[in-house]
Amino acid sequence: MVNKRARNVRSICGEIIMLFLSILMLIPFYYLVVNTFKSRQESAASPLALPKQVVLDSYKRAFASMNFFQSFTNSVVVTAVSVTAIVLLAALAAYPIARRKKKGYKIVLFYFLLGYMLPAQTIMIPLYNLLQNLHLLNNIFGLIMVYASWCNFALFLYQGFFSTLPVDMEEAAAIDGCTPWQSFWKVVFPLLKPITTTIVIFEVMWVWNDFMYPYVFLSSNKSFTLVMQVYKGVGQFSNDWSMMLATMVIVLVPVAIFYIFMQKNIVAGITAGAVKG
Amino acid sequence: MKKKNAFRKELPYIAFLIPALIVYTVMMFWPMVQAIFLSFTDWNGLSFEGLHFIGFENYAKVLHDKQIMTSMTNTFIFAIFVPIFVTIIAIPLSVALNSKMKTRNFQRAAFFFPSVPSALVLGYLWSYIMSPMDYGLLNKFVTSLGFRKVLWLSKPNLAMFSVIFVCVWSQIGWHACIYLAQLQSIPGELYESARIDGANGWQIFTRITIPLLKPAIGTSVMLLLISSLKVFDLPFALTGGGPGFSTTMISQVIIQKGFSDRMYGQSMATAVLFFIIVAVVTIIQQKGGKKNG
Repeated sequence: MVNKRARNVRSICGEIIMLFLSILMLIPFYYLVVNTFKSRQESAASPLALPKQVVLDSYKRAFASMNFFQSFTNSVVVTAVSVTAIVLLAALAAYPIARRKKKGYKIVLFYFLLGYMLPAQTIMIPLYNLLQNLHLLNNIFGLIMVYASWCNFALFLYQGFFSTLPVDMEEAAAIDGCTPWQSFWKVVFPLLKPITTTIVIFEVMWVWNDFMYPYVFLSSNKSFTLVMQVYKGVGQFSNDWSMMLATMVIVLVPVAIFYIFMQKNIVAGITAGAVKG
Repeated sequence: MKKKNAFRKELPYIAFLIPALIVYTVMMFWPMVQAIFLSFTDWNGLSFEGLHFIGFENYAKVLHDKQIMTSMTNTFIFAIFVPIFVTIIAIPLSVALNSKMKTRNFQRAAFFFPSVPSALVLGYLWSYIMSPMDYGLLNKFVTSLGFRKVLWLSKPNLAMFSVIFVCVWSQIGWHACIYLAQLQSIPGELYESARIDGANGWQIFTRITIPLLKPAIGTSVMLLLISSLKVFDLPFALTGGGPGFSTTMISQVIIQKGFSDRMYGQSMATAVLFFIIVAVVTIIQQKGGKKNG
C-alpha cells in the first residue's frame, strides 16, 4: 500500500519534471514568436513577457521586404518537383534492380552505391560549372536537377522494400498480359505506398529546409527560396530585429504545419528505419 | 537467337533504369570524377584549356593551410562530441518518453519539434538567444542570477561548445524517437521478471535496456556521425565560423575557398580528402554495425 503510494508520488514528480523539460525545449520558439509582436524596447526589457499590445507591423515589413509570394512559389515548386522526380526515378529504377535476375542489374546497383558515401560538398564546384554551362545557374530548375540526382538514397530504400513484397501479384499481372510498364503502375507502385510516404516526407523536409545548395547556386532575389530570404534578411536588416524574427516565423510556419499533419507518418518512418537498420 | 530474345525481354526493364542512370551520372557521378581529376590540376575555374597536371601540389598546400587544418580539427571535435552527447541524453529520454504519462504525446512532440525547422533558422534564433545584447535571453537569465554576462559565441572554446549544444538540442528528440521504436519492441515480461528477481531501476536500465538497444545505437550513431561531419548551416548561421576560425567546419572552408577565394585546386583537394574521410567512417561503421547486429 505504502509502496504503491510512493510509486504514485514518484510518477507524478517524474511527469512534472518531464513537462518542465518539454517546455524548456520549446522556449526558443516561444521567444521567437512572442518577440515578433513587440517593439525593440519591449523585447529588451523583458524578452519572454507577453506583448502589451499585439502589433503586426513586423510581419507587414517582412512580407514587403522579402518578395514573399515569389519565394514561397519557388520553394513550393522546387520541393514538389524535386521530390516527385526523386520518387519516380528511384521507384522505376529500383523495380528491375530488385526483381530481375540478370547480373547486369547488380552492377548497376553497385554503380549507384558509389555515390552513397559522397558528401554534397565534394562535387559543389564541378556542379556549379556544369550548371553554368547549361545556363541553369541562378535558376530553380538547375536546383531541381541537383536535388533529383540524390535519387540513389530513395532507390536503396525502395530496393530494400521490394524484398518484403510478394511477387505473386506481378506474375499474375504478367500472365494477364500486362506489359512491365502497365504492371509497374497498376500493381507495383500502389504496393510501394508505405515506403513512398516515408521517402516523400523526409525528402520534403530536406529540400524545403536546405540552405547549402541555394546558397551556392542561386544569386538573385527572383530565384530565392524562402530559406534564402532568411539568409538575405539577416544580412540586410540586422537593425530591424523584430522584422528578422518575423521573416524566420514566416519560413518556419509551413514546415511546422507539415510536421503537425505528418507527425504520425514521420514517427512511423523513423521507426521503420530503426528496426530494420 | 535465344540470347537475342532474352535481351529483348529485358529491354523494357532496362528502360526503367535509364532516367535515374542519366540524372545520377550527369549530376553526381561525373562531377565526382571531375572533382577528383581537377584536384590534381591547376584549373583556373573557367576553361579546361591550358590545364596542367600538377600532382599532389594542391594536397600539399592543403596540409600546410592553417585554416583548412583547423577546420578539419573543428569538424572532428564536433563529430565526436555531438554523437556522444546526443546518445547519452537520447537513451534515458526515450525511456522517459516510453512511460505511461498522461502528457506523453505532448512531451514527444515538444522534444521532436526542434529537428523540424531549417538548421539555418535554428542557428540564427540561437545567435539571438546567446547574444550579449539586451535581447539576449540567456544572458538575461545569467545576470539575473547575479553572474556576469557570458560571451557564448565570441570566445573560441565556448563558441564551439555553443554550436555543439544547439546541435544536440535540435537532435535529441529525433534520436530518442529511434530508441523509442526499439524500446517498444522489447517484451514487457522481461522487465516484469527482472523486477520479481529484485533488480532495481538502474540494474534494469544497464542490464536489459541498454543491451537490447544495441542495434538502435548503431543506427543512431551512424546517422549522427555522418550528418555532423557534413554540417554546414548551423555553425554558418550561429557563429559564421568565428571567432577567428574556431568554429569553421570543413564544408564552409570548401565553399569559401572555391567560391569566394577562387582557389579551386585547394578547394577540391580538400573536398576529395573530405570524401575519403566520410567514406572511411561510413565503411568502418557499416562493418561494426554488421558485427553487432
